[in-house]
Amino acid sequence: KEEDNGSQQNRASRRKSYQRKNRDGKKAREEGSQKKDRGKTAHTKDQKESENKEKKTTKRGKEGENKQKKDRKNSSSSASSNSSDEESLSEEELAMLKEQVEQKKKLISTMRNKPWRMVKKLSVLREAQDFVEKFEGALGKGKGKKLYAYKMMMAKKWVKFKRDFENFKTQCIPWEMKIKEVESHFGSSVASYFIFLRWMYGVNLVLFGLIFGLVIIPEVLMGMPYGSMPRKTVPRAEQATAMDFSVLWDFEGYIKYSALFYGYYNNQRTIGWLKYRLPMAYFMVGISVFGYSLMVVIRSMARNANESTADGDDDNFIFSWKMFTSWDYLIGNPETADNKFASITTSFKESIVDEQESNKDENIHLRRFLRVLANVLIICCLCGSGYLIYFVVKRSQTFSKMQNVGWYERNEVEIVMSLLGMFCPPLFETIAALENYHPRIGLKWQLGRIFALFLGNLYTFLLALMDDVNEKLAEEDVVKNITHWTLLGHHNLSAGNDSTVTPPPLDPADVPRGPCWETTVGIEFVRLTVSDILVTYITILVGDFVRACFVRFVNYCWCWDLEAGFPSYAEFDISGNVLGLIFNQGMIWMGSFYAPGLVGINVLRLLTSMYFQCWAVMSSNVPHERVFKASKSNNFYMGLLLLILFLSLLPVAYTIMSLPPSFDCGPFSGKKRMYDVIQETIELDFPLFVAKIFSYVANPGLIIPAILLMVLAIYYLNAVSEAYQRANAELKKKMQLQREEEKNKRNNKASTNPMLQDLEDLLTPSTKTESIPKQAEDKKIESPNGTSPVRKPGRGEFLDGSPAASGRGAAFTPPRQVFVTQPRTLDVRAPYPGQPRPWGHPLGPVPGRGRGQPCY
Amino acid sequence: SLSREDFQRIPELAINPLGDRIINAFFPEGEDQVNFRGFMRTLAHFRPIEDNEKSKDQNGPEPLNSRSNKLHFAFRLYDLDKDDKISRDELLQVLRMMVGVNISDEQLGSIADRTIQEADQDGDSAISFAEFVKVLEKVDVEQKMSIRFLH
Repeated sequence: KEEDNGSQQNRASRRKSYQRKNRDGKKAREEGSQKKDRGKTAHTKDQKESENKEKKTTKRGKEGENKQKKDRKNSSSSASSNSSDEESLSEEELAMLKEQVEQKKKLISTMRNKPWRMVKKLSVLREAQDFVEKFEGALGKGKGKKLYAYKMMMAKKWVKFKRDFENFKTQCIPWEMKIKEVESHFGSSVASYFIFLRWMYGVNLVLFGLIFGLVIIPEVLMGMPYGSMPRKTVPRAEQATAMDFSVLWDFEGYIKYSALFYGYYNNQRTIGWLKYRLPMAYFMVGISVFGYSLMVVIRSMARNANESTADGDDDNFIFSWKMFTSWDYLIGNPETADNKFASITTSFKESIVDEQESNKDENIHLRRFLRVLANVLIICCLCGSGYLIYFVVKRSQTFSKMQNVGWYERNEVEIVMSLLGMFCPPLFETIAALENYHPRIGLKWQLGRIFALFLGNLYTFLLALMDDVNEKLAEEDVVKNITHWTLLGHHNLSAGNDSTVTPPPLDPADVPRGPCWETTVGIEFVRLTVSDILVTYITILVGDFVRACFVRFVNYCWCWDLEAGFPSYAEFDISGNVLGLIFNQGMIWMGSFYAPGLVGINVLRLLTSMYFQCWAVMSSNVPHERVFKASKSNNFYMGLLLLILFLSLLPVAYTIMSLPPSFDCGPFSGKKRMYDVIQETIELDFPLFVAKIFSYVANPGLIIPAILLMVLAIYYLNAVSEAYQRANAELKKKMQLQREEEKNKRNNKASTNPMLQDLEDLLTPSTKTESIPKQAEDKKIESPNGTSPVRKPGRGEFLDGSPAASGRGAAFTPPRQVFVTQPRTLDVRAPYPGQPRPWGHPLGPVPGRGRGQPCY
Repeated sequence: SLSREDFQRIPELAINPLGDRIINAFFPEGEDQVNFRGFMRTLAHFRPIEDNEKSKDQNGPEPLNSRSNKLHFAFRLYDLDKDDKISRDELLQVLRMMVGVNISDEQLGSIADRTIQEADQDGDSAISFAEFVKVLEKVDVEQKMSIRFLH
C-alpha cells in the first residue's frame, strides 16, 4: 500500500525532494552504478519520465545539476547499451532483478519500524519506490513488457480499490457506535441481542426489496388502478365507514383493498407493455423469500461455526494480562475513555464469573439429581400448559356455536395465553436455580423452555386461523353462485329488448363479493404483528422506563430503599427479547405470502426498535449481577431461527398445495390450485421441450434416488466433520497438558527437592541470578527429550534459550559455574513425588539413577 | 523545559488512569522540570527495534529501546516504591484506578491475589521483573511499545 501511495500520490513531493535525495549522494551514486553495472535496459517510457523530471528540477541548484548530469549519463549509457542488452537479458539477471525488487518492496513495507532518522527514511523510501516502479515493468520479456507493467499497475490499483472498498463497507455498518456503547456498559451478552437485531434488520430489508420491487411496484404502476375492478374496490355496503380510523386500525376499509394485501392483485397473466407476468412473479417471490431466508440463516451458522474453532489459546495469564495490558493508550476522547473504563470493569467481572464457575467442585451426584428433578418439574409444567391450551381451544369452539356468550367466554383463549406467557417464564427461572449452571448455559436452557411454551401459543393461533379459512371456503361456494346469477340478471335487465347494445357494466362496488380467505389470513397476521409491536413498546416504556423513574424519584420519600430492595432497576431481559424477535420473524414469514406489505411494516418496526431499545437500555437498565461473556458463536439464536423458519414454512406450503384459491380475488383467482401458475407458464411461455424435461424430472423414480444421494452426502460430511473436531480437541488437550506440566515443574521445583535447595543456596542470593539458573535448568530439563542428559551448548545458545533476556548486560559468571554442575542435578531431578505423570516424562532415562526418590 | 502541567494538557494522558505515573516517568528524581534531553531519553524507549542491530554491540550497554528496557519502563510504572517488586498493594492501587468503585474491595483483592498467583514463580507473593517479563512473553511488546513515524 505504501508503495502504491508513493507512486500515485507523492509524485509532486518526489520531484521536490530530488534535491534532498542527493544528500545521501553516496547511496544514490551506488544505485546509479548498480544500474549501470547490470546494464539494465530502462523502459523507454521511464527514460522519458526521468528526463522530464530532470528538466523540471533544473532550477534546483548545483546538486540538482550534478544529479541530472549523472542521470543523463546513465540514460545515455543505457540507451547505447539498449539495443545490445535487449537480447542479453539472461535468466540470472532476471532472477537477480526480481530478488532485488522483492527486497525493495520488503524494505518499503517495514520502513516504519526502522529506527533511523527521518531524513534517511524518506530518502531510502523514495529510492526504493522509484526502483520498484522502474524495474517491475522491466521484468516482463520483450513485447510482453508493456503488458506486464500494465498488469502490475492494474493489480496494484485493484488491491488499493479493494482495500478502500472494505474500509467504506465497514464505515457503512449502521449503529456500530451505539452497539459498542451498550457493549462496554452491559457486557457482550446484551450486545449480542442488538447485533442479532441488526442482522435481522438487514435480512428484512432484502426481503422487503424483493417483494416491493417485484410484486407491489409492478401492480401499482402497471396494473389496473383502484376502483376499476370489483376486487380493488370497497363494496358499497362498507363505503360509508371505510375511512373511519377505527376501521382502518382493524385493517379493514380502504386498507383492505390496497396493494398491502393479497386480494388486490389481478389475475391477468401479463400486465403492462412489458408483459410482466405478475401471478408468476408473485408465486416465485413467495418461494424465494423462504429460500433466501434459509440460505442466509444457514450461511450465518456456518460462518459462526468456523469462528468458534479458532479459539484463543492463551489462558495462562488471564488476570495478569487484563491488569497490565487492557488500557488502550490511543484513546483521547473522554466519552470513549468512559466506555473503556466500563468495558474494563465488565471484562473483570466476566472473568470473575468464569473463574468461579470453573472452580466449583461439588458433589456431582447431588448436582445431577437436582438437574433431573428440575427438568422433570419443567416438563410437567409444559405438559400442563399444553393441555390447558388444548382444553381452552376446544371450549372456545363449542362456545362459538352457542348463542349468547359473555365477554369472558369470547376472549378466554387470549386471556389464558397471556397469563401463561406472563407467569411461566419466571417460574422456569426459579426452578432453574436448582440446576446451578453457568449463566451462559442457563440462558440457553431458559430460551429453549420458553420457546416450547410459545409453540403452544402458535398452535392455537394457527388452529383458529384454519377454522376460519375452512369456514370461508364453504361460504365461497354460496357466494359464487350468487355473484353469477346477479351478473346474469344485470345483463338481462340492462340489455332489455335490444341484445346488440352492450350492457353498461355493473359498478364494481355493487358486485357481490366472495369472502376472500387469503386477505383475511393476511389481515390476521398484520393485526397480530401490530399488536405485538405495541405490546412490546408499552412494556418497555412502562416496565423499564416508568419503573426507573419511579425508583429514582420516589425513593426520596419511601420507607425502604427502592433501589436496592423490591422494584429496583430492571435488568435487560435477554431471553424475552430474543424470543420476541424470533417469533415475530416467524409471523412475518408466515404472513408475507398473503400480505405483501407486512415485510415493510416489519422493517419500520425493527428500525424504530433499534433506536428505542438502545435508548431504553442505556437510560433505565442496570447491568446484570453476574455479567457473563456471550458465547463466541451466535449459533444458538440461529438454530432457533431456523426452527421457526421451518415451522412457518409448513402452513404456507400446506395452503398453497391443498387449498383452492378464492375465485374472485388475488393473482391466482380462477385456478384450481395456486401452483397451477407454474404449469401454465411452462406450457405457454417456454418452448415445448422444456415442458417435456420438467415432466421427466418430476418423475418419482428420479426424485427418490436424488433424495437418497443427498442423505448419503450429509452422512458422509457429518462423519468427516466429527473426525476433524475430534482431532482438534486432541491437539488442544495436548497443548494444554504441556503447558500445565511446565507450570507445575516451575511451581514445584523449589519445594520438592532438598538437594536442589542446597545447590541454590550455594549460588549468589540475588533474585536475578536465582531466576536465571532456574530457567537454565528448565532449558536443560526440556532439552534431553531423547538426547543425552549431559549437553553443553555454547554460551550463546544458552543465552538465546533462556526466556528472560534480563541478564544480557549483567555480569555473568555465576551461570558458568551452575552450568558445569548442571548435569549432576539432572540425576537428582528424578520424578517428583506426588506429581502426576502423564505419558512418558522426558526424563525417561534418568529415574533409574534416582537417589532415594520414588520412581513412578 | 517542560513541567507537569504541560503534560497534563495532552488529552490522551489526562484521561489515562496511569497518566500521572507516566508523566512522573519523564521527570528525574525530585525535579519538576524536564529539559529536551531528558524528554528525548524517555521517548527513546519507544523507538522501534531493529533486528540487525542485535548482532552489533553485545559488549556495550544495551540500547534504550530493547525489549528488556521497554518492559523495564512499564515495570517502573507499576512499582512505585522502586524495590524491584510489584507487591499486592501496588496492584490494588492500579486496579482501583482502572475500575474505580464498580467492583467491591474484596473482589479487587481476589483479582490481585489471582494475578500474583499466576505470575509469581519464586513464591515471594510479589512480581519481580523477571516474572513480569515472563508474563508478557507472548505479548508483542516490540510492536505495541513503539512509535512508528513515516510522514
